[in-house]
Formats: sequence, C-alpha cells, structure tokens
Amino acid sequence: MSRAVVLGGGFAGVLAAAVLARHADEVVVVEGDRYPSGPRPRRGLPQSHHSHVLVAGGARALEALLPGTVGALLAHGAQLRGLPGDALILTADGWFRRMRTDAHLISCTRGLLDEMVRRRALASGAVTVWEDTRALGLLGDAARVGGVAVSRRGAPPETVRADLVVDATGRRSASPRWLAEIGVRDVEETTVATGLAYATRLYRAPAGLAAAIPAIMLHPGPGPGRPARGATLFPVEDGRWVVTLTGTRGGEPPTDEQGFAAFARALRDPLVADLMAEATPLGLIRPYRDTVNRRRFFERARLPAGFAVIGDAAVAVNPVHSHGMSVAARCALRLGEELTRHGGIGPALFPGLQSALAAEAEQSWRMAVEADGEQAGAGTGERAEGTGAGAAERAGAGTGRDGAPRREPNAFEREIRTRLAQAKLSNPRIAAGLFAAQTLLSDDTATDRPEIARVLSGRPEPLLTSEEAIGQYPGLAAWLRSRLAAATP
Amino acid sequence: MSLRISEAVIWQETGEGVSLYHTETGDFHSLNDTGSRIWKLVASDGEREPVMFKLSREFAGSSSAMSRQIVADVRDFIGTMIEQGLIEEVPSEKAEKAAT
Repeated sequence: MSRAVVLGGGFAGVLAAAVLARHADEVVVVEGDRYPSGPRPRRGLPQSHHSHVLVAGGARALEALLPGTVGALLAHGAQLRGLPGDALILTADGWFRRMRTDAHLISCTRGLLDEMVRRRALASGAVTVWEDTRALGLLGDAARVGGVAVSRRGAPPETVRADLVVDATGRRSASPRWLAEIGVRDVEETTVATGLAYATRLYRAPAGLAAAIPAIMLHPGPGPGRPARGATLFPVEDGRWVVTLTGTRGGEPPTDEQGFAAFARALRDPLVADLMAEATPLGLIRPYRDTVNRRRFFERARLPAGFAVIGDAAVAVNPVHSHGMSVAARCALRLGEELTRHGGIGPALFPGLQSALAAEAEQSWRMAVEADGEQAGAGTGERAEGTGAGAAERAGAGTGRDGAPRREPNAFEREIRTRLAQAKLSNPRIAAGLFAAQTLLSDDTATDRPEIARVLSGRPEPLLTSEEAIGQYPGLAAWLRSRLAAATP
Repeated sequence: MSLRISEAVIWQETGEGVSLYHTETGDFHSLNDTGSRIWKLVASDGEREPVMFKLSREFAGSSSAMSRQIVADVRDFIGTMIEQGLIEEVPSEKAEKAAT
C-alpha cells in the first residue's frame, strides 16, 4: 500500500495532494493550522489578508488539475480582468491603451480561493488532512526519505511512514534544516532583496461601481534614487475592493488611517485615492514586508529518493508579481505529469522530479529577479553593450556583456528604450507578448522583434493623458465626473 | 557580394559616432569614429571595394603598408558586423545581371 505525505495544507499542498491521490493508495496532508469554516483568511497565513490574483497561466493549470474550479470561483464572485483590456495601468512610461489579448487575471480573496480549491481537491475523500499537526522532521537518510515525524496538538510525537514526502510549507519551510539532519547539507539558497513593503486594506465599494471598474495598477514613476511608490486596486467578490499600497525603503506605506490615505493621494495619479475616499473601509490596514525573492536550489542538491519540494518552499518570488499561486498550480500539474510518465510513485520518478518542478518556477523566478534587481539598482539596470567590432580602432564604448563595467546609455539608447517602452502601451502585438509572458501563458519572453522593428521605424503613438486613459472605461469616467459635479458648488 | 544594413537594425549618427540597435537581439552597439565612418560608407556605397578605396585614400596617403592595414581592418570590421547580423551580404546587381 503506497502512501504520500504532503507537508502544508495551503494552496500548493492541497493541489499536490489532489494530484498524488490519483497515484497513491493513501495521501495525508499535515497542516499546522486549522482551516476556517468558510471563505475567510486563515490564522496561520498572514498573507491571506492581502491581494491575491491568479494569472491566466495559473488559472489554466488549476482548471486542468481540478476542472470546474475557475467557473466556481467566478460564480462565487471572483473577478476576471483582461490584460490590459480590463485593466487601467499607469506604468513608468505612461498609461496602457485598452487592448484585447489572451492574458487575464482572476481576482478574489485568498479565503475564497482556498475554500473553492480545498473543497474540490478534498471532495473525493482520498486525501486525509491532519489539522493542528506540526511536521518535526524527515525520517530516513541521505539516500532515502521514508516518512516524517509529526506532532499532533496535545499528543506525543509520532512517525508516519511514506513512499513520498512533498514539502509544501511555503516561504518558512524548514526543509534545508530537516535535510541537514539526515545528512543532506548542500542546498544552495539565493535571495534577491526588493526593499519593498506594502500595506493592504479591504473596502466595500460604492453602490454601482463595485464590479464595474477595471483592475487598477499605478506603478512607480521613473527616477532613480527615490523610493518607488505605487498602488493596486482589484475588485473581488461580494462588492469589495482590495487596495494595496507599495513602497520601497524610505517610502513604505503607513498603516494609520490618515497616512494611508495621504500616501495614496500623493501617488502619480489620485485615482486610487479618489476611489478609496468613496468606499467603506472593512477592517484593518495590514502591512507586509516579507517580499524578498528566495530560491532554494533543491534540484542541485543530491536529494534523497522519496522527497520533493513544491511551491514557495522552493521558489518564492516577491508577491507583488502575483505569480506564487499560479506557479504552485503549474508545479502540481507537472507533478502529476511526472507521476504518470514514470508509472506512479517509485524509483523511476525520483531522480528527475525536483528538476521538473523547478523548471515550472524558472520563468517566474527569472522575471521577478530581473524586475526587482533593476528596482534595487535604482532603475539603472539597463543593459549596455559595446561591440566587438575591431576595425582600424576598436569600436564600442569600452563595455562588455559579462561582468564588464556598464556605461551610461547615450541619447540614442535612451530614445530607443523610451520608444520601446511606449510601444508596449499601445501596440496590440507587443502588449500581447508582454502580458502572455507576465501571466505565464507563454514562456517565450522574447518580444515580437519584427513588430518592434516596424514600430521603431514609424511614428510613435501619442501617450494617453490621465483623462483619456480613464475615459477608456466609460462607467468609471462617468462616476468620476458625477463625483466632481457633486463637489462643485 | 554587395553589402547592406540589416533591416533589423535601427541606427543613428550621434555626437559619439554611430549608435545601433538590433531589434532581433535587443542589443545596442556604439561605433567609434572609424567604425562609424566605415558604417556610413557601407550604407551609402553598399560594396566593399569603394569603402576600402575611400578609406585608403583618406588615411593611407601614399603608404602601401598603411593601405594594406586599412584594407585588412575594413575586412575585419565588416566581417564582424556580418557575424553579428548588423550588415548583410546580398548578391550584387552586376553578378545578378551576369547570371541572366
């Protein structure tokens, strides 16, 4: 009789358990917390009070894992927004025009998402969940994990035999320590700091505007050396909005009433502040600071057979990139594929399993580190290459690709980069490629080069003013006009 | 074979010489004075020989050793540009006419 144990009963753990239930006689989920009795935040998951979205690639994976879940989420009030067709986005380079692409996101509270996923994943009864149970360590040695030691509340420690143990305990995973205790000491870890903090509050939306508005994203403006401040507003179920204010070191959003409102008001556009002012706050302003990108390269270690790590426990990216749950869903899907390919839980599965799981997180990791690395570098992360052309004199500006000192971009480079950035705002093909990569629909981050050549050779599209950008959403524009009219004597 | 600037290249003459952007690789390049001069001659003349001839007259004067050096350098430069996809070789009009 085969048994799989999943450590952690959050989003990643429950999906992994659902997959394993198709290949093991028994699946046990070890969860340190107690599940809430409905779609509410979980006590042991501070992140559950903050904004959560499932990007298109993650939604696709979730639907493949648990068919009907996306439909159920939408039926319970989750909000689907096309990117950038239903999203009002102010980037450092300007406002996005409204364009239809395949990319989208689904926005709802973490409580609803977990509830819907858990209900479906555990519906068959093939998975047993041990709530209020702490994992204490791994059983076995450097060659083979054979189970886990756990402690149920109020009971002495006990051991559980398992043919496969999957760690899905998230950012605070103790796997490196547990592995060291059984003789596996070479788990590399790398972190990329973001310096970012954010604060979130839930609001009851004004009547008539709740679900009728686009997702709103105000990115930090250009300018190195200053804290980068931004905001998002996502509509969620039950006529609510979740507002998140973000700021890098020295510009962290406050968590007091007045400071929170003033922070939003001082952003590059007052739209989020205007909407907050007309909405009803629900509950506290909640801060969050654990935004570091952290990757543990389990796939590079000599992992014992019978053990794997999934989700944030292996690769945790800055939550502002909104990839965590989507990558977890993709990893669970890949776990299922690997199990099928290797005939279930057995010796053939183990050697390549962790590499396969890591591959599913690779794109998200690369994009997050690239974006946050540039942010941490105060916006000077532009590539600057010289040329290897060596005629009568060596051409170039004395810079190289790898490790060579970077030079300041010249006026030509700045102009090209500005035009490229602005082209994304208005060109449907370029925007489609960008958002397909950002929502994990495509792992090809290469841009549509022929289209770029065409765009750079033509006249640039004019940038939208704030009024024009908001005017793309007639309901929102009308609401702002009526608000202004009401305030005008 | 004739030479032409790749259609994937956006380029501009700046105060620092010629700056290039390759839209397929996303790479920027900056050419120094001499590289810029060769680049502009390729853009205007489209053949190796006129480029070498003009540069040789410009810089070598009556020195045949200098002239040989310039020819070699121009070949190297153009070869590197072709390798990097910045300049393309295309059948010359003369060769095409001869073939028909």
